[in-house]
This record gives sequence, C-alpha cells and structure tokens, in this order.
Amino acid sequence: MNEEQNPQTPRRTTRASLSSTPNPKSCKAKLKLCNKQPLTINDLAYGDESISLDDLISSLPGRRSQISELLRLLGPLDSPMFPVFVYGGASTGKTSTILQIFKHLKRPFVYCSCITCYSPRILFESMLNQLLLHRRNESNRYSSTKRCERPSDFVNFLKEALCNVVDSLKGNMVKSSSKKSSGWARGKMVYLVFDNLELAREWDKSSNILPFLFNLNDILKMPEVGLVFLSNASPDTYYSDTGYVEPVPVYFPDYTEDELRQILMKKQENLKLYSSFLEVVLRPFCRVTRRVDELSTAFSTLYQIYCEPLDDLGIVPSEDMKRKLFTHLQPHIGPSLNETFKVENRLSSEASAKTNKWKGIAKKNGVCESPSEIDFHMSACAKYLLICAFLASRNPATLDASLFDSTGGSNNRKRKRKSSEKSKEKKENAEQELLLKGPGTFPLERLLAIFQCIVSVSECLPDEEAQGDGGLEGESWTNGLLSDVLLELSSLCNANFISKCGSCPLEGANRYRSMVSEAMALKVARSLKFPLAKYLYRG
Amino acid sequence: MGVENPAEQAQVLLRTRLCNPDFIFTIFSHSPDSNYSKLKYIMSSSVTEACNNSALLLGPRGCGKIAILEMVIKDLLQEYPDTICVIKLNGLLHSEDNCALKEIARQLCIENQLVFSKMASFDDNSQFVIAMLRECGLAHKTIIFVLDEFDLFTQGKQRLLYSLLDAMQSVTSQAVVVGVSCRLDADQLLEKRVRSRFSHRKLLFLPPSQEDLQKILQHALLLPTESGLPSQYVAAYNKKLLNTLSDEKFKDIIESLCHSDSTYNHLLRFLFAAVCHMDTKSGYLSLDNFKTALSSIQRQPKLEALQDCSILELYILVCLRRLEVKELETTNFNSAMKEYKSVHDSFQTSDYYAWNVCLRAFEHLLQRQLISLVDNRGHSQSVEFRPVRLLISSHELHQGLKSYRSCPAILHKLLDRGV
Repeated sequence: MNEEQNPQTPRRTTRASLSSTPNPKSCKAKLKLCNKQPLTINDLAYGDESISLDDLISSLPGRRSQISELLRLLGPLDSPMFPVFVYGGASTGKTSTILQIFKHLKRPFVYCSCITCYSPRILFESMLNQLLLHRRNESNRYSSTKRCERPSDFVNFLKEALCNVVDSLKGNMVKSSSKKSSGWARGKMVYLVFDNLELAREWDKSSNILPFLFNLNDILKMPEVGLVFLSNASPDTYYSDTGYVEPVPVYFPDYTEDELRQILMKKQENLKLYSSFLEVVLRPFCRVTRRVDELSTAFSTLYQIYCEPLDDLGIVPSEDMKRKLFTHLQPHIGPSLNETFKVENRLSSEASAKTNKWKGIAKKNGVCESPSEIDFHMSACAKYLLICAFLASRNPATLDASLFDSTGGSNNRKRKRKSSEKSKEKKENAEQELLLKGPGTFPLERLLAIFQCIVSVSECLPDEEAQGDGGLEGESWTNGLLSDVLLELSSLCNANFISKCGSCPLEGANRYRSMVSEAMALKVARSLKFPLAKYLYRG
Repeated sequence: MGVENPAEQAQVLLRTRLCNPDFIFTIFSHSPDSNYSKLKYIMSSSVTEACNNSALLLGPRGCGKIAILEMVIKDLLQEYPDTICVIKLNGLLHSEDNCALKEIARQLCIENQLVFSKMASFDDNSQFVIAMLRECGLAHKTIIFVLDEFDLFTQGKQRLLYSLLDAMQSVTSQAVVVGVSCRLDADQLLEKRVRSRFSHRKLLFLPPSQEDLQKILQHALLLPTESGLPSQYVAAYNKKLLNTLSDEKFKDIIESLCHSDSTYNHLLRFLFAAVCHMDTKSGYLSLDNFKTALSSIQRQPKLEALQDCSILELYILVCLRRLEVKELETTNFNSAMKEYKSVHDSFQTSDYYAWNVCLRAFEHLLQRQLISLVDNRGHSQSVEFRPVRLLISSHELHQGLKSYRSCPAILHKLLDRGV
C-alpha cells in the first residue's frame, strides 16, 4: 500500500496517477510530454516485471487471507468470474491490494475511482478512454474519445470497446505464444475496477446508477469481463427499491495492533529505535483510532519529539536510553492524544520548525493551553462580523434591545439575577436545548444592526484607540460603506464561518447562521480586545 | 498451464458453467409444465399464427427469468430463422421514452442493415418504429420486444408502452412484448389505457424447490465424461462429489443457505465461492470448501463494523444507546458528549478524550454507518448539532461487545445498567 510504504506521501495523488494510467511507464511518458507513443493494449496491464506472490504478501502486512481469497475469486487465467464486492473501513488497504494483485497477475484491467470521477459522465468517459487506449493531451484538447452521459450510451460504447479489447487480447495471445514477451498482458479477460463506490450513492438520488453498475455483469453478458467493486461501506448500506444482483463479498477488517506495528515499521531507517517508540505510543493511540493514515500523521510529529534528545539517529537504544527517551516523550503523549490528527502545512511547518521546538519544550507537563492568537488572517471588519454573527446566533433576538442600547451594554450588569430553584431548572433546560438545537438563525438586518451597535461602541471605548488603523477603518464602516460589509459577509459565507440557510417562509429573506464555536469566537474577540463575554446571554 | 493440471482445468470448466446461466437452466427445458414450455408456447404461437402477444414474467430477483427467456428466444431463432427480430431494452438504461425509442430504432437498424441516424428526433423515431412494425408484419416477421426491469418503464407517462401496445392492436403488425420484472404488482403499475391493451398473461417464477435444488447441484458440479479431462480423474471426482452431496452436513449447509435467500442466483454464487476454494492440489470439492464458501457468502456487516471500532468509538456507541433508552426526543453529538462526560465523572474511566477527538470518532461511526443522521435536509447545521440515530440494535451491540477482543468491562456494565 502506498500509504503504508511511505506514509508521508499524500495518497490521493498516487491513486490518481494510478487511476489515469495503470502503467507507470506511460505515466512517465505523460510527464515528459515529448515522446507520445500511442498506447497499446499491453498498457492496460502493469508493464514492468511482475512481483512474486511472496513479495505481494509481504508488501501488504496483515492482508494475507484477503489476498488469497481475492486470488481465488479471480481464479486461474481466462476463467470467468462473478462480480466481487470488496469492502472494509477506510485505510484498510483495499485499493492497493487490488492494484498490487493485478500487478502480480499482470492481467489487463481498468481502474476508475468515484472520487476522481465524480459524476456518472466522467466515470463513463474515463473508463472508455482507458479501454479505447485514448490519452487526453494537448493535441486533442484534453477531450474524451466518446461523449456519453447516459448509461444506455455507455453500455453500447462499452460493449464495442470491450469486444475490441478482448479481440486484440486474443490476437496478442497468439503472438505471444510464438515469441515469449514478458511485458505483455496475460490472458484474454478484462477487469473493470470501480473504487470508492460508496460515493456513487450520493450522486443523484433519483438516478439508478448503482443498480445499473451492480447489474452491469448481466447487462453486458460477456464472460470475458470481470467486475470488482471497492467500497468502504458494507453491502447492507446500499439500498435500492427492487434490489440488485448481489456480488460476492470480500471483507477487509481494520488492522490489528500487531499489523499496525508491521505497517508503521516499514520504511523506517532505524528499526530498533522506532520499535521502542511504537511500544510506547501505539497502544494508547489504538484506543482512539486504528486507521493507518491518522496514526502515521500523528506519529510523525511525535517521533520527532522522541528523537530530540538524540544526536545520532542511527543509534541502537539501550534499555537505559529507552527509559530516558520515554520520560522525555511521556508528557507529550497525553496532549497529542487529545488533538485531532491534523496534517500540517508543509511550508509553515518547515519554517516554524525551530519555534515549534521551543514551544514544545515550553509546554510543560501536558497542559496544552490553546494558543491565544488565531492562525489565519482576517480583516478587522470580518472579525467584527464574525462576532456579530456569533452573538446573533446565540442570543435571543428579544434581548438585543437591552444588550445594545445607547450605553453600550457595559453597564448592563445589573440584570436581575435571582437563582430560585425554578429558574435554575429553566436554565438547565435552556442549556440542554441549546446543545440539541445548536446556533439559531437570524436575518441579515439583525446582523447589520448588531454590527452597527458594536462598531459604534468599540469606537467609544478608549482602549480601541490603541489599535490604530482598526479605529480608522471603523469610522469608515459607520459612514455607510455597506457594500464592503456585505462583501466581507459573503466571503465569510464562502469560508463557511457563516452559513446561509433556507429562507424564512413568511419573510422570504435569507437567514444566516454562525458556524464558529464559542472558543473560536472568544479567540477572535480577544484579538480585537472586544469584551465578548459581556454580551453573551447565558440561560 | 491448464493442460498439465486436470484439477485446474476442471475448476475453469466449473467456473465457466456457473457464470453461464444458459447452461444452468437447460435442465428445465424438458419438463412440460415448466415456465420454459409455457413461454415457448406463447411466443411460437405468435410466430406461426402471425398474431400479437404480450406477457409478463414476474418473480423475485435471481430466479432465472431472463435466462429462461433467452433460452426460448435462442430456440425460436433456431427453429424459425429469418422470421424473428429481437429488440432488448432494460429499464435501468432506457426508462426514458426518448432514449428507449432511439435504442429501438438503433437495434432495428442493425437487424435490418439500415443506417441509423443519431440525429433523428423522437417523432422521427416513433414513426420509423411504427413503419417498421407494419413492414415486418407484412413480411411475416415477428418482432420480440424484451423489456427487462419492466417496472421502471412504468414511471412517467408510459408513452413508450402505450405506443408499442397500441401499434400491436392492428392486424398488420406481428409482435410480442415480454416484460420482465421483480415486482409482482408490475401490471398494476400500468395506466388504464395501457392496461387495457395488455394481455394479462403472467408467468410466475419461484425459487427452486428441494428436488430442483438437488438437480441443479448435480447438473452444475458433476464433471462431464466426454470433456478433455482424464477419465480416471473425472470418475474419482464425481464419486467424491456425490458422496459429499448426500452427506447430512452438506444438507445442513444448503438449508442454512436457503434460510436467508433461496433463489438460484444465491445458490450459484455460493457454488462459485465453493469452486473458488477448491484445492487444486487434491482436485476435489470437499465439505470444507462448502463450509468456507457459506461463511464468506453469509456475512454480518454490522457486527464486523463493531469489531473494527476503536474503544473510544465503542464508548460513544454505548452513550448513544443509553440516551436511546432514556427516550429523549432527539439525540445528537452534543448530548452524547454530555452522557460521555457524566459517565466519566461517575466512573473515572481512563478513556476520556477531548471534544474534537470524540467528534472525529463520531464521524468515523457515521462513515461506518453504525449511526446515521436522521434527516439529510439540515445541511446548514454542523454535524455536532444534527440529530442522529443508532443503526444497530441493543442485541447487536451486546453481541459485538462480547466478541470484542479487549473490551473494557465498564462498557458492559454501562450498557446493562442502561437497559
């Protein structure tokens, strides 16, 4: 598996390149763009030397039984097969196992993923392009050979293309028997591989693309065609009114802890050191997730911390050293367990590698305080809008008048606060409701009104002067440059900080909803030195 | 490769047979009261007596409707060459009227060596089809329309069905319309004007009976003596197979297979899996092969998905289940988190993770389809506020926790106390 072999490479690109051209050779040719040999029928299979069964099994740890089952189902050369449905959780090696198996068998196949082919038309055309040995390039203006949108057209084209392919494969066999050629595709079967089929469920609710794909075997009625479906959703989650012909299921379970260890150990330079590292971290992390992609990103940063005290990374750690390294790492495990495993931006991580180091050391005993600054840029106007939207979503509309009166809410502290049993209960209920309902919606007018109030208040505040340019800009907003504000609002909508939701049936105007969490809003407010907590209505 | 090893050769032969429905269903062509003979009678009468006919083949998916129909058509084509023209449509592909007519015109053109125009309009095509129907009728040539997934043709205005059946009301035309559907109420879906033009001939296809099953098993799996295989091997193989087939344990396997789904297709899939597991060294189909095939065909995806969950994901599932027991109106991520926190507060579990980590686990559960969002409408809300429901029963959850390798004891306790 690509992601197993080197977890650092993003797997989408590798899959994409595999999907467009199964043959790495032609992939190179494509990159060069200078030698444009026409594709031949042999390019449908992996061209370079095939891998042996042992290599196949050892390259995919923990997948031995799945590989042997798939090999059995694919069967000996030129034997027809039932459609196969491979399923299992994300990042369990479905795609790479199938691709490696075809590399091992050297049989011609066509691979299409529903991620890259995100609509029926693109799926159909990409499949036909591969079968008709068509390469999209400058000279044909990156167009497909056939234009087909409907399944009916696709079936006609597909039958034609498959017949041609099978015929030329048969011709190929006659030739290859006379002179042994190693680079040639074996057999006269063609396999169609559909990856990420679960995405096709969402394509179009009314269309019957999924029953069509599942019935493709019966529609084509060609014994020379094998179908393989890959999906990370189990077969029982594919509903259809009148059912479909069920394929033969093959299940890929998630990796166990031992298998994960084997996978993560691959491609490591210092095996001893890494295994002692894994001994420490793998077990606690496995309680949270067993997905390879998430673990490998989490471990890559942790391993750097683990190695920090070492000068020589090639060292074989002694027991004493292991203990020392463990005590060094221990405070970091807890917090990193509580972080979602994010992929860091490469550039910034390189640039801030040094500062990160210092920060990592400064962070003591695992209390991960959230950094007070927000890590993206935003104009002051947008920040104010964000806060306004947050307030409008949280506070009941009836309170606006009392919160934002001319005195600016600052002396609004004297709100009645009696804490009788009843009001407490009420408060709890309201809290519960807020948890269930989430942020409320508000019309545009309310947002703008709050915005006006807040901006005018923040201008009155003395400490706002210290912000310099922020104050100046603030003046210009109040001067009625509403278009700017609307522009900011639409860009906030695009960035999904604020979401537009269905218009109100009575008023007809669009309603908005703030999508930011409270922590985030507070952070933004802090950066503006805006006293947000004062305006928040609680229960 | 296959030449050296008779077992491998036999395996290829068996696979080819199982994947070829024409072969499997030939055994039903001999008995007089089978669907095969009835259908053949209907269709051949139309060919010989120059009349119009229509019929519906109904029955669950995978009972050999299409296979029998294909066999009948094949026989008719042999018996009456040059007088039959077959047009095949599939509801999955041609449910739209425009597209269907185009396809009919295309296939008619191919059959009669005419040039098909892609640019022809709906009107052109329908006129062409009607003209062709008349011409064929005059030339005493029968056109057979096969409409697979017939129920899908009844969506919309049913213009295609109407124009086809209406054209068949005239004396000059000579055509048969055969609809194939897995909906038993397919004829009730027809509009009144279409239904009145339809002959209400229906053939029901049912899953195989016990005797049919035995027949099919032997028919599909016994090796023929006159193939290229060494006769010694064939004799030994057949003897061993017959032994296995009469075994009580084998009958149990077949029975449990038929409990879930007793159609031909399911059986064939099972046999295919068994043949795939055949040991090519010994070269015989053993009882173990059938056993493994059964377990690989009959899967329990929800339990498998539970085994794949991490401990944290199990915690969230248990919390959701506890909320379900409390019978709250709606549950979402936030209320599950509240429950999770209260569990942690009262039991001091070691698995207490931050909010965003739990959200990630929650999303994994959504992806595994162990839980699902109740409505797909509220896309403007973020995931944590949208109501969810469990897609597994408490029984499944219990069973899953029990078979989980290192399930914390606290989870069992939490689940039991909730119930």
